[in-house]
This record gives sequence, C-alpha cells and structure tokens, in this order.
Amino acid sequence: MCNIRRLTLMMALLLLVLVAVPVIAQDTASGEVAIQAQACAEPGQLTMWVWDENWAKVIGAAIDAWKADYCPGAEVDLQVQPWGQYWDLLKTNVAGGDMPDVFNMSQDRFFFYADNDALLDLQPYFDEGGVDTSLWGSGMIDPYRWGEENDLYAGPVNWDTIAIFYNKDLFDAAGVAYPIADWTWDDFADAAAKLTSVENDVYGAAVYAEYQGGYPNWIAATGTTPVVEAGRTSCTLTDEGSVEALNFLKGLYDQGYMPSVSIVGGASADDSFNFWLAGKVAMVAGGSWKLPDALEKTTFNWDVVTLPKNPETGRSRSILHSVGYVASAATENPELAANLITYLVSDEGQQFFADAGGVAPANPAVQQQWIDSFGDTDVNIQAFVDATQDSQGVTAFDEIWDKINTELVVNIFDLGLSVEDATQQACEFINTQLPQ
Amino acid sequence: MSEQADQPAPYTDLSLPIKVLTYFVLILGAVVMVLPFVWMASTACKVPAELNTLPVRWIPQTPVCRENLNLLYETSPNFNRYLLNSALLTIGRLVGQLVTCSLAAYGFARFKFPGRNVIFALSLGLLMVPFQAILIPEYLLLRQLDWLNSFRALIIPGAFSAFAMFLLRQAFLQIPLELEESAMIDGANPLQVLRYITLPLSGPALAAFAVITIQAAWNDFLFPLVVANTPDTRVVTIGISLLQGERSTPWNLLMMGSFLATMPMLILFVILQRYFIEGVTMSGIKG
Amino acid sequence: MKTAFLNLFGQTPLTRRRALWGMALVAPNVLGLLFFFGLPVLAAFATSLQQWNAIKPPVFVGLDNFVRLFQDGAFWQALGNTLKLLLLSVPAEIFLALNVAVMLNQRLRGRIFFRTIYFLPVVTSTVAAAIVWAWIFQPRYGLIGNIFAPLGLRDIGWLTRPDLVLLPVAAVMIWQRLGFDMVLFLAGLQTIPRVLYEAAIIDGANPRQRFRFITLPLLSPTTFLVLVLAIINGFQVFDQVYIMTARTTRGGVGGSATTLAYFLYQSAFIRSEFGYSSAVALVLFLLTLGVTVLQLRIQRRWVYYEAGE
Repeated sequence: MCNIRRLTLMMALLLLVLVAVPVIAQDTASGEVAIQAQACAEPGQLTMWVWDENWAKVIGAAIDAWKADYCPGAEVDLQVQPWGQYWDLLKTNVAGGDMPDVFNMSQDRFFFYADNDALLDLQPYFDEGGVDTSLWGSGMIDPYRWGEENDLYAGPVNWDTIAIFYNKDLFDAAGVAYPIADWTWDDFADAAAKLTSVENDVYGAAVYAEYQGGYPNWIAATGTTPVVEAGRTSCTLTDEGSVEALNFLKGLYDQGYMPSVSIVGGASADDSFNFWLAGKVAMVAGGSWKLPDALEKTTFNWDVVTLPKNPETGRSRSILHSVGYVASAATENPELAANLITYLVSDEGQQFFADAGGVAPANPAVQQQWIDSFGDTDVNIQAFVDATQDSQGVTAFDEIWDKINTELVVNIFDLGLSVEDATQQACEFINTQLPQ
Repeated sequence: MSEQADQPAPYTDLSLPIKVLTYFVLILGAVVMVLPFVWMASTACKVPAELNTLPVRWIPQTPVCRENLNLLYETSPNFNRYLLNSALLTIGRLVGQLVTCSLAAYGFARFKFPGRNVIFALSLGLLMVPFQAILIPEYLLLRQLDWLNSFRALIIPGAFSAFAMFLLRQAFLQIPLELEESAMIDGANPLQVLRYITLPLSGPALAAFAVITIQAAWNDFLFPLVVANTPDTRVVTIGISLLQGERSTPWNLLMMGSFLATMPMLILFVILQRYFIEGVTMSGIKG
Repeated sequence: MKTAFLNLFGQTPLTRRRALWGMALVAPNVLGLLFFFGLPVLAAFATSLQQWNAIKPPVFVGLDNFVRLFQDGAFWQALGNTLKLLLLSVPAEIFLALNVAVMLNQRLRGRIFFRTIYFLPVVTSTVAAAIVWAWIFQPRYGLIGNIFAPLGLRDIGWLTRPDLVLLPVAAVMIWQRLGFDMVLFLAGLQTIPRVLYEAAIIDGANPRQRFRFITLPLLSPTTFLVLVLAIINGFQVFDQVYIMTARTTRGGVGGSATTLAYFLYQSAFIRSEFGYSSAVALVLFLLTLGVTVLQLRIQRRWVYYEAGE
C-alpha cells in the first residue's frame, strides 16, 4: 500500500516537474530578469499602509532590502491596519488630507480613488524604468488602468484564481471517477447528482457563492462579463449568458445537489469552503488563497481541478483578482514612491512574497518559487496557474460587492426567487449606481 | 466576614419550589449567555483541523492551548505591550471620569442653576449621535490638536462622559438629604460633602460605574484605531484585529487573543461585584 | 440691571452661591464633552448641508440632503426597522434584566457565579458572538433548529428571510445588554434600605407585595436610567445587525435588517456620501433627543426620588 502511494506521489511530482520545466526553462534560458529594480534618484520619506500583521512582516522585510540595495537613506513609515477596517480608515484619513504615500489597493476599490483623481499615474515611471507591463496578464492589470491613455495606476503584487476543490473520499464512497481538466458543466452536474447523499447529509456541490469564488465564474464561462460591463456601462445580470449560468446553478440547487445559503451558514466563498472542510459537500469553488487552509485543515483526501467548461463555448473562465500597490497623487515624493513600488513588483522584491506562500505573486518569474513554497504535495496547484490563461478581472465596485452579490445569491439559493426576478431586481439597483 | 453573615434580607428565605424555579430559569439563561464565551475558549485551544467541524465541537479533541499561546506571541510579538496600553488607557479614563463625572453628577443632582435642565439634556444628547457619524470630525479635531498617535488622544477625550455623569446623578438623587445638610451646617463646602458623605454612600453605584467604564474603555476599538494606531500606542482590541488577514482568518489565534483580553475583565468583575453587596451595610447608616 | 441678572441665579445670596457652585461642579465634564464631542457633532451637522465624498472639496447644497432623505424609501425602511427593534428588544431587555437582578440579589448559592455568567456577554468578543449566534440560528445544524425540530422549525432560514431577520437581531441586542442593565439594577437594589423590607415583613406583606410596593418604586430612578440608556442605545443599533447579517446579506435582504445607524454607515463609508449620512445622523439625533426629553418630562409621574429632585 505504502509503496503504491509513494509511487503515485513520485509520478505526480515527476509530472509536475515535466509540466513546470518548460515554464522555468523559458525564463532561465533567456537569462533575462523580467522586471528590474532601479536605484532611487534621491532618498526621502514615505508613509505606507498595508493590512494584516503577516503581510506587514513580509513587506517590512522587502522594504529593508530595498533600502539596503537600492535606496540607502530612505525612510518608510510602514503602518499596518486591520483588514476589516482598512477601507473605512483610508477614507477617514483621506478626508483629513492624510492619504498615505503608498498603500495596498484592491481592484474593486480602485474605481473610487481613480475617479476622484487621488492616485498617482505610474505609467511614466514604469516606462522610464523599462518595466514590461505585458508580463502581467490582462486580468491582473486591466482593472487598474485609468484615463484616456489607459495608463497603469498600480503595480500588481499578487493574483488569485478559482478552481474546484474536491473531497476524494466522498468521490470514492460514491464510486465517482475524479474529475479531469477538460470536464464540462454536464460532467459536473452528473458528479454532483451522484455525490449527493441525503442519508449521509452530504451535498454534491457548493459553487454559487457571492462574487469571486462563486456564480460570476459560471457567467464568465458563457462569454458574458459578470455583473457589470467593463467600463461600468451596463448591468449584465439579465443578459442571456448570466441567466443561463444562474439557471444551471439553480437547477442543481432545486434538485437538492447544492445546499441553501442558510444551511451553509453564509453566502461568501469562505462559508462554502468551511462547509467543505467539515466534509458536508464534495465539491466547492475555492480560491488559490485557500490552499494553505486546505493543506492544514482537511481531515480527508482532496485535490484541485480547473472549473468545468461551458459545453457551448468550450471555455472555463476564472475570476481573477489582483492586489496592487498604488501611490497618492498628492505624495511629495512621487519618484521615490514609484521606485519603491517598482521594487516590490520586481523579480527581487517578489521573492519575499513567493517565499511567504499563500497568495501567488504577480511576477511570473517567481511563479515556480511560489508553487515550491507549499513543499512536497501532490495537490494540483497548477490548476490555479492554468486558470490565469482565460480569466476575467473584477468589474464590480464597492456597493455591488457589499450588497448586490450576496442579495442575489440569497434570493436565488435560499429564498427561492426565480433567476429572472432576482436578476431583474439586481439590475434595477445596479443601474442606479452606474455613472450616468 | 462570611458572606452569609451580612447578607441583606430583602426577602425571607425562599421556599423550595421558588428556589427550584429560580435556578431553572437562571441556568437556562446562563447557557445562552455563556455559549459564545465557551466557543471562544475552546477555539483558542483547537488545532486548525478542528476549527470547521459540523456539528460544532465544543471541546477540542486534541487541545493545544500552550502551542496556540506561543503561536499568538510569535505572530504578534508586541501583544503584551498592547495589553499594557489598554490598561493605561483604561486607568486614565477611569480616574478622569471619576473626577469629572462625580463632580458634574453632584452639581446636577443637588444644585439649582439657570439652564440646568437644558445643559443636562444637551450633554446626554451627545450620546445620541452614532460614533460613525463623527468619526471623521473627531479625527480632524485631534489632528488639529496634534494629538494623533499619543496617549493624550487615547485618554483625555475619554475622561469625560455623559453616561457616567447620568449614572452617578441618578445614584446621588437616591441619597437622603439630611446627612449632607447637617454637614453643610457644620461648615463643610460642597466638595467636602461630596468627598466625605455622598461618594462613600454611593458604593454600589460607584462599583457599577467602575465595571461599566472599565469595560467600555478596555473594549474600545474604533476610537483608538482612528486616533492612535501605532506600535507604541496600539491597544489590545486592535492587536487582535490585526491577526485577521484579507484571505485568512486564524480563528484559534484570534480567540486566544480575545480570551487573554477578556480574562482581566472577568477577574475584575468577580472582585467588583462584591461591592454590590457591601454598599447596603453602608447605606444602613441612615436606617 | 445687575440685580435682575443676579436674580437669574436665585433670589437670595445663599441660592446664588449654590448656583455658582453648581455651575462650577458641572463645568469640567460639560466643557470637556462639548469640546471633544460637541465640536465633532456640530461639524457633522454642518456636513449635512454639503455634498462631500471625502476626497473632493465639499459643496454647499442647503437642505437638499434632507429633501432627498425624506423621499428615500430606504431611509423610511431603516427608520421602521429601528423602531421595530426598539419595541422588540427594550421591554424584554428591561423585564429580563430586572428579574435576573432581583433573583441574583437574593440569598442564593452560586450567586457570584451566575452574576459573572450574565455579565459575560458584555465582555465577550464581538467576532465570537457573531460566529456563535450565526450557529444558534443556522438551520439543520444550529441550536434553535434542533431544539424546535419537533415543531417543524429545523430548516427555517432565520437570518435570510426578510420577515424573520429582525428577531435574531433583537435577540442579540437583548443578549448583549442584559448584563449591562443587570449591573445597574444590582447597584440600584442596594440603595433600598432593608428596614423597609423588615417593616413590610412584620406587616405581613408577601414577596409579591414587597416587590410591587417597595422594590419597584424605590428602584425607579435606576429603571429610568436603564430605560433612557436602552432607548438611546437601541436607536443606534449597529453591531448587532452586523453580527447577524455579516455572513448573508449585510443589512438583510432588501434592507430588511438595515437600521438607521447601519444606513448611516453605508451612506458614509460604502457610498462615500458623507453629507447625506450626516443628514441621517441629525435626524437620528433629533428623534432620540425628542424621545429622551419626553421621558425626562414623564418621569415625574413614575420616578420616585428619595431626596426630591
């Protein structure tokens, strides 16, 4: 038994190496550095805001290295804020005219600050420093573009995508074959049906959660942009593709293959994931940031597979989100701020993020290093990397995150509203929020 | 000083059925009161694999209290400093309020002056604006004073309180006038009367004031977060919230931190609640 | 002229002196409050006449925010929810707290233990409360569902159904305030002279009569305090809404659990309409003040002060 296990592990590792080698080979063969950090013109002082203690440690180390190697004499006042209150605090400080020089930004919050001309245009600095922005996938940086020139206003620091986490033990118990990369919505529905077991209190799937980890992935697979059109011109929830995707999910829910929001205990992808960790559901849509959680908390065998493909379009599209660094338009040291950001997204700076594990670094040069940070595991981490190929950036903004997402999910997957009524209602609200 | 000896006897000894009923109701209520605390304590000692069980696991199978405690201090090395800062904030506000609010309560309870009711209602009125509404102006005010990120900002605004003033005023109004009047005739000024007659007679109210003020100061989160979130001035509630990341919630560490922060409050309550009894013996003077 | 002015402070030198003493005593706290909280409140009220998103300079818009507010269905819904929650929570909260305090003021084994237990919610972390209360109301796996399963209530979605969601919110309000009110009541109970009870026992009064004719009237200043604070607090209910709806739809589906304070928060920090949210704050303030002034007037009919007021 033990030998067979070890053998499969070895084979999986070998496979991983085979898949990964060409990627590394490309980078090392050319021998080029993807993004090169630059020496700063003149040291000065910067304030910087980040969220959560763990991240602050990683960034603190990166900043120390920057100061030592590229900008001796610079001072960075690194302030760590609680994630839960980060945006409220930022607004409070902004109101007082105290916007930090450099700070963490998220794609869904970018619109407000950009729209109010509060951010520094980083494009000239990237151009000057020879940063090749095409290294980053469009899902990573398009949501950070702004203005007539489509300039880039953020340096992307990481990315995450969505895939299906599945409980192998439950698949074995139901006698269902493990899913493979090219599976379709029909295969997914079949598996969900077979895996559902009322007597064992086990559901087949939980994949409809709000925003990034949930229903928008399925809408994206139909070729429709989820929730709102890029550029925030119109609500897309009533479009054909959205209705098709939501009806597919509602079908699974109506059949009893997916639990209601109340039974899961919440509408967020975290809640669905915790339900999966408790062994109550066989398949869950989860983000790459959940890998450490899954490695640490599971009490069963599991693996990851890419999202199933829509049978008509033949595509599976993951919602990709990327956290970036932005600088204040009012900073007294724009050159220095841009220099620090360039360092943090450079090959050197990104090492710190790659080694820390957890969320994947944005710079492709350190991708493998990130995969390696999980140590010896046969989990198909590559599924998340593959998902970046055909991905969809975040298009919704603040209010939609906070209200419409969850409301839509609860209306359809708990209160029994029809997809047509629920999307109609959501679009009516969204239309009042779109710029005229 | 056995507890039984100087018990008040507002009611005679309870009959058995009433006693049983009382216990039944108390225990039923206690279960609901205690559940979140139990969850906090048990989660503080769980390994990650036990965090997401269904049904909820109330007692960890492999308790790792010690390990989680170490992990907490590893993740948040300044945690003790945060506890100390919270203690400083709490003591500062308590002492401040004790002075300002007992004076004001006495003034409102015993002296007639023009505009008394309007001023009292206005002060209470400040309790009626949600803090979210004044978050930004409050930040701007302390910024103007150049007090941001200092203990002054943490303590001084909190040294005034409409709530504590109201509480103590109600208590003072329940104290009979005769004692104070005789002291006045003997030539004591109002400050002396307050210090030597009124306050000593208000033991239980002062205990309630202390419990509530300490608890509110210790748990204060939003105000310190806005005005003084630096490593040197950070209070423990903020320290705990920093453990939560955008993408991960280490429940066991969060709850270990919360547990450590809750224990001093519990111990203090157990000590202070004695004074809800002792006050009676004092007010017995009047009888 | 001078005497006319002085007469404001009282007719005789003694009353005048006492008036000055009174003002001197209240001055530190009142001035401190006005400076540290009065100024920000005034600033917030001034913002209610502006359009301001926290970044761009504010624009004066007169009463536009108020006009919009009174035409905003979401505002009226939030007002309605707030009033419903007040009705659901305040009477129950005071009734329970008074009873628990009276029970725990008796000669009872384990009294200190119970007092501590009932005080626990006041110090328990909000996030822990959020998790456990969500579990209590979770269908199938939760406490309520399992206790009332025989009644067919196992799979009720308490936290998602717009017609039910206020009940869990009210439950958490009561849970969090009970220990706080109990502390105030316990302190109040101590000030009732025990001779009165002894005399009543000699006169043959039964426990119910003693409660009705001694405890209730003599406790009334405390009850008044608890009532006023409970209503002020109830008007601002925010945390409890967050606790019960954070994991489904914040503020309830279709705004079914959105209170005025929550509406204010959303307007300010989510929609960046700080002028509009300040208008909500002013309306909330006036409402609470109105109810409190009303209570201060009515109290003369039911609150008994040993030394007069």
